[in-house]
Amino acid sequence: MRISTLFYIALFGVGICAHAQNKQLLYDFSEIPQALNINPGAEVDFKWYTGIPALSGISFQAGSSGVSAFDLFANDGVDFNTKFRERVLGGMTTKDELSGTYQLELLNVGFRSQDPSVFYSFGIYNEGDAIGYWFQDYALLAIDGNADQLNRRFDLGDLKTRGEMMNVFHFGVNKQLNRKLTVGGRAKIYSSVFDFNSTRNKGFFVTRPGQNNILSSTFNADMQWRTSGINALKDAESEGNIGSTVLKRGLFGGNLGLGVDLGFTYKVNNQTVFTASILDLGFVYHSNDVENYTLKGDVTTEGVEVILPGALADPNRDFWQDLVDDIESIVPFENNFNSYIAFRPTKLNASLRYNWGEQVPRAADCDCGPNVTSNNRLSKFTNGVGAQLYMINRPRGPQSALTAFYLRRIGNVMTVKTTYTVDKFSLSNIGFGLNLQAGPLNMYFLADNLLAYRNVANSRYASFQLGLNIISWGKN
Amino acid sequence: MKRYIQRLFVAILCSVVLFSCVEDLDFTQYDELEATPSYEASILYLEAPENVINLVNNNSDVFSQNFNFDAFSEDVFADRVIEGTITYIVENTTSKELEITIEFLDESGNITDTELFIIEEAPTATIQREIAYGDAGRSIDIIKTLSTIRVTARNLGDNTSESNLNDPMIIVKSSGKFRVRLK
Repeated sequence: MRISTLFYIALFGVGICAHAQNKQLLYDFSEIPQALNINPGAEVDFKWYTGIPALSGISFQAGSSGVSAFDLFANDGVDFNTKFRERVLGGMTTKDELSGTYQLELLNVGFRSQDPSVFYSFGIYNEGDAIGYWFQDYALLAIDGNADQLNRRFDLGDLKTRGEMMNVFHFGVNKQLNRKLTVGGRAKIYSSVFDFNSTRNKGFFVTRPGQNNILSSTFNADMQWRTSGINALKDAESEGNIGSTVLKRGLFGGNLGLGVDLGFTYKVNNQTVFTASILDLGFVYHSNDVENYTLKGDVTTEGVEVILPGALADPNRDFWQDLVDDIESIVPFENNFNSYIAFRPTKLNASLRYNWGEQVPRAADCDCGPNVTSNNRLSKFTNGVGAQLYMINRPRGPQSALTAFYLRRIGNVMTVKTTYTVDKFSLSNIGFGLNLQAGPLNMYFLADNLLAYRNVANSRYASFQLGLNIISWGKN
Repeated sequence: MKRYIQRLFVAILCSVVLFSCVEDLDFTQYDELEATPSYEASILYLEAPENVINLVNNNSDVFSQNFNFDAFSEDVFADRVIEGTITYIVENTTSKELEITIEFLDESGNITDTELFIIEEAPTATIQREIAYGDAGRSIDIIKTLSTIRVTARNLGDNTSESNLNDPMIIVKSSGKFRVRLK
């Protein structure tokens, strides 16, 4: 696999959009074991479960908040330069982004403790996450240039991007404290394969009327590009062993970090449930195979300046080279190998659900049927409706999404959930999730933004999640 | 039952694939994208006070100096430049008429372009001139091969008088605006 392919995967391929990591269909979907991964304090009634390795949890999301592929590449006879200028240069802002996330579960196992109120889960998953904001002023400089734009500041801070690939090793504990409250936590060890980030850039480039000469050009920069693992992958690519290098770095051979997930479920009353979770409260410490690049300084030039008679003192003086040397010394482009800490994109989920309808007996081996009132694990209602809030910490600040959902249980065999999500990317995101239980075999399929399937190319967001699990409730 | 559910699962997957639509896209349109920005910046600023000019006999070169200037012949620019203009502003606040000659030389020292300014004494002495290169002007190769700028100043007046203006001098300003093809 080429490095460029890896970057492509990180940036575009595997899960995109700001709601990229929003799993609103999976959240609070307690029939699916993977719901524990986004709320370790979710209600769980399994005796044990195990995911089918590499098939138990696959999530893929892709999109863009600015333009869709259809906007640009539709075969509509409009000149491409016109479309690019109107829809990209004129239509996008620095808040628009291309971002993404994917997760691939490698191992996911859960089991109930001897204390029936405690449930443990552990596993490994591979994750890639990347985000790049639209670099508006860089694009304007590349397409239009700086000519005839006196005093216009081109913002170097428009470059904001980050991305990473890692394996996550996790162990979670879920405990039902009483009939109202279930809490959970999940400890995580991150093993980073690679990381890059350039999110705190400042500076500008401006052309003004000159003091002496006709024009004055000012370049003020405080920029940084940090990487880890990239050089190792480049070397591996040239040596033809990139697969083993990715594997090695993902199995504690790269950079390590720590994190935690926390969550709870609180039954306000018999029919109303409030849940919340905070995920990936953690960091990765990058010290292995680090290489950073910096560009920092402030310089103003009006070209080569020759002021007589002093300038003629040295007839061999190279004014042009002196100017170049001066600029390079004032605004040096340097590299270093300093370690750095990268914080994970922390996510927050919350939901309020109202249940009603018939009560479905739980599959769990417990005395928790419809007529039982004292057991901690009461039977589930056939209908649930509610709202969910999702927030994620991003380089340009938190982003949020609001979801309304309806969940319907059909016996213990099938559960469906449909969602309507509003965020800055879409006002028409309707999702549908299906969970099927065939004896111990559990299958789920969750797809988002279904209306976009009328023309996938015109969609700015598409996602799906699917998985296979084996579940036991301890019944014979 | 198990088989029924498996079939239903597959049917849903197939439905999503089969009933979703993708309108025809033409990604080759990207090849049509043109990026030909115009960039501008100052090139050379030169000033010589009147007392320096008076040191030289009239009708003689006050100075003639070669300035290395490789900015335009760098591959990153020379391979991409399409057209452009160089703007000169010459100001004379001295008491004598002056002749300024700006010559472009290539790497071999050949003169590829010459611009001559004869500028009267103060107070009316300012010349602004724009020289186009490319399709609408002189050959763009002059710019691509520019390696040295030679500036020569010649005193066409006396070498004794002094302007009553503050800080009298001859000033040559210049800037360039060029369109380049990035894609």
